[in-house]
Amino acid sequence: MSKLTDKNRKLLSGTAGSSRRTVIKGLGAAAGAAAIGLHAPFVHSADKTIRFLNGEPSAESVRAMRFAAAQYEKETGTKVQMDTVPAGKAYEKVQASIKSGRPYDIATLIFVGDVLILAGEGKLVPINDIIKKYDWGPRILFPMKGDNFWYPYDYNLCWINCRQDLYDAKGLKAPGDWAGMMSNLGALQGDGDGQLPYGIVHPIGSNGATNYTAFGYMWANGVHLFDDNWKVVLDSPEIAAKAGEYLDFMAEMTKYMPPAPAQAGWPNLVGDFQTDKISHTPGTGRLIDTMNVRMPDRAANVGAFLFPSKGGESFAVNHGYDGWVVLDTAMSDEALRFLEWFSDEHLINFLHTSPVHYQPTRLDIYEDPRWQAHPALEQFKRITDMQKQVLSDKKIIIRSIDTEGPEPDVRAGKVFRSYALPEMLQNKILKGMSNADCITTAANKIREIAAG
Amino acid sequence: MHGERALYCIFGVATALTALLILYPAYHALELSFQDLDSFISEPVWIGFGNYIDVLNMPEFWNALGRGLIFSGTTITLQVVLGIGFAMLLDTTIPAKPLVRGIAVLPYLLPTIIVALTFQWMLDSTVGVFTQGARLFGYSYIPWGENGGVAMTVVILLSVWIWTPFVTLAFLAGLQAVPGELYEAARVDGASAWQRFWHITLPQLRPVLTVVLLLRAIWMFNKFDIIWLTTRGGPLQATEHLPILAYRKTFELYEVGQGAAVSAISFVILSAFILVYFYFFPLDEKE
Repeated sequence: MSKLTDKNRKLLSGTAGSSRRTVIKGLGAAAGAAAIGLHAPFVHSADKTIRFLNGEPSAESVRAMRFAAAQYEKETGTKVQMDTVPAGKAYEKVQASIKSGRPYDIATLIFVGDVLILAGEGKLVPINDIIKKYDWGPRILFPMKGDNFWYPYDYNLCWINCRQDLYDAKGLKAPGDWAGMMSNLGALQGDGDGQLPYGIVHPIGSNGATNYTAFGYMWANGVHLFDDNWKVVLDSPEIAAKAGEYLDFMAEMTKYMPPAPAQAGWPNLVGDFQTDKISHTPGTGRLIDTMNVRMPDRAANVGAFLFPSKGGESFAVNHGYDGWVVLDTAMSDEALRFLEWFSDEHLINFLHTSPVHYQPTRLDIYEDPRWQAHPALEQFKRITDMQKQVLSDKKIIIRSIDTEGPEPDVRAGKVFRSYALPEMLQNKILKGMSNADCITTAANKIREIAAG
Repeated sequence: MHGERALYCIFGVATALTALLILYPAYHALELSFQDLDSFISEPVWIGFGNYIDVLNMPEFWNALGRGLIFSGTTITLQVVLGIGFAMLLDTTIPAKPLVRGIAVLPYLLPTIIVALTFQWMLDSTVGVFTQGARLFGYSYIPWGENGGVAMTVVILLSVWIWTPFVTLAFLAGLQAVPGELYEAARVDGASAWQRFWHITLPQLRPVLTVVLLLRAIWMFNKFDIIWLTTRGGPLQATEHLPILAYRKTFELYEVGQGAAVSAISFVILSAFILVYFYFFPLDEKE
């Protein structure tokens, strides 16, 4: 009796006019409910633990994940044990966990190639039922032979951030083509009023920063690496001409960059912008979220636009999606239940830990009042409107080196990690090679890699 | 008898740990090098020497080997020459000797990641302190991210800066053991400073030199961290040596078998070097 809840006591108190049998039945039901409600989780929690590899190491994200894990344990009795590593190290950790015989049940992965390898080896379980529940944005699911093996939670779109206050002061508009881009960079570079020492930084070294931030103009200009049969077309006459225009554009743009773009990396993309060295920087909404915490006045001055093509016919963004996979373990079913529960109950809280950066991959979230309620999303409406436009405007190109090709394939991942395209840029900018030689060298390297 | 049992116990534990932490991983790496697999969890396919043939036919392997020899050869030479020089300097009568000796060891105590990041910022093309210095002499910046030769020079100098103190310490310890009478007798005989160094110091330091050269050769040939953290093997592979090539093949390019083959070949090269080295410079000269 001591286990009866307030609700059950009220039930009992309302039985004054009932028969003894009814009272006994009511008591029995209440005791049963209490037993299920209070005891069952403890029984299950003894042996139900989901191991979750988190790849978002920021303090806010970890806190949100831990909160969700605690809530889930409270509601279901299943413990969610979370390990956190930098996203780039997650794949190695997943492999190690599998080899050690204690695989994670859920893991964060940031490359489609990694997902494909794990799925191909039968280490993942499909999450089709969860995926089917929602509407998804374009170029984000990457199904493999009809099955979805990952739950993408973030588009990570890369665009050009700019100093909106300087744009407004000079009466500039977001550039619609490469000439406009050069004109704006020139107008804002110098030592006069409303000018900064440099226009933009584009890393060109063999690193992830270059792969992610340097090729938006190239995608916008209509370049792609493979045809529908995985034949390398980078050096075909039509594509090579467009790639050559891109190389000329990048080489010309170096006059607006701080010296030594090959040395530049993530710290420069953020640091040079925050310290008033450059007026533009390629990146995501993370820049805005970070500045909004540390320097909110400055964050309010950040504008953004998409990578234009040479003539302004089209625009592009580079994507860098992140997602979760469920591994084939004894706890797969529990892990799927947790993922679905998290997706419904806590994903929005998680996205709010970096609200402008974590652009939802699910279209329903954009209409969800819980997501809309974050003040930063209202404050940076011009940015979030642009993000939505990317998903709805068919003319905007969303590409990335590692998702090139007619279908998701590990070959594109290899090209990404071979740095064939950053080397093409280096050959142009550092070595002064001709466009034809740069493109042929890159295309041959891609062919070699794709051949395996 | 009791002590003997303890000795066997310690030996047993040491052997077990060596087998677990060194022999098995080495065996596993060797096993991987004969297999075709694109991840550590892939179903391995035995392909015999296929990976070795592929690797030996790759120009990037030979280029990486050449760069590794340049890197290790130059760093070892500089570390040994400077190490002996500093050791002799620290062995003389200088003011605040303990303090100076402590400072001389400092670079060796710093974590490599700290050194790499600090030097990257010191060499930064806009705000770096070296850049500011270069501007005073009319240069814009040090192009370590653009020019392969400069990048290699930077990683060599960084390595020398970090690991010379180890050599200095070893030689300083060796110098303490050289009997002062030898120098006094040489002085009486009218030997110059150079002659004293060449005929007394160097021969007396030979056992230390033999060990230090061997250790430095093994460590520098396999040195991964400082290059990876500073240049990641770039620009355009200019600082990519065998350990970095093996890492990239294994962890970035989904070619675990080839990466293991590069490591195995690297191991064979180093083993051959050690055998030759011991043939010419045996540690035990009593025979």
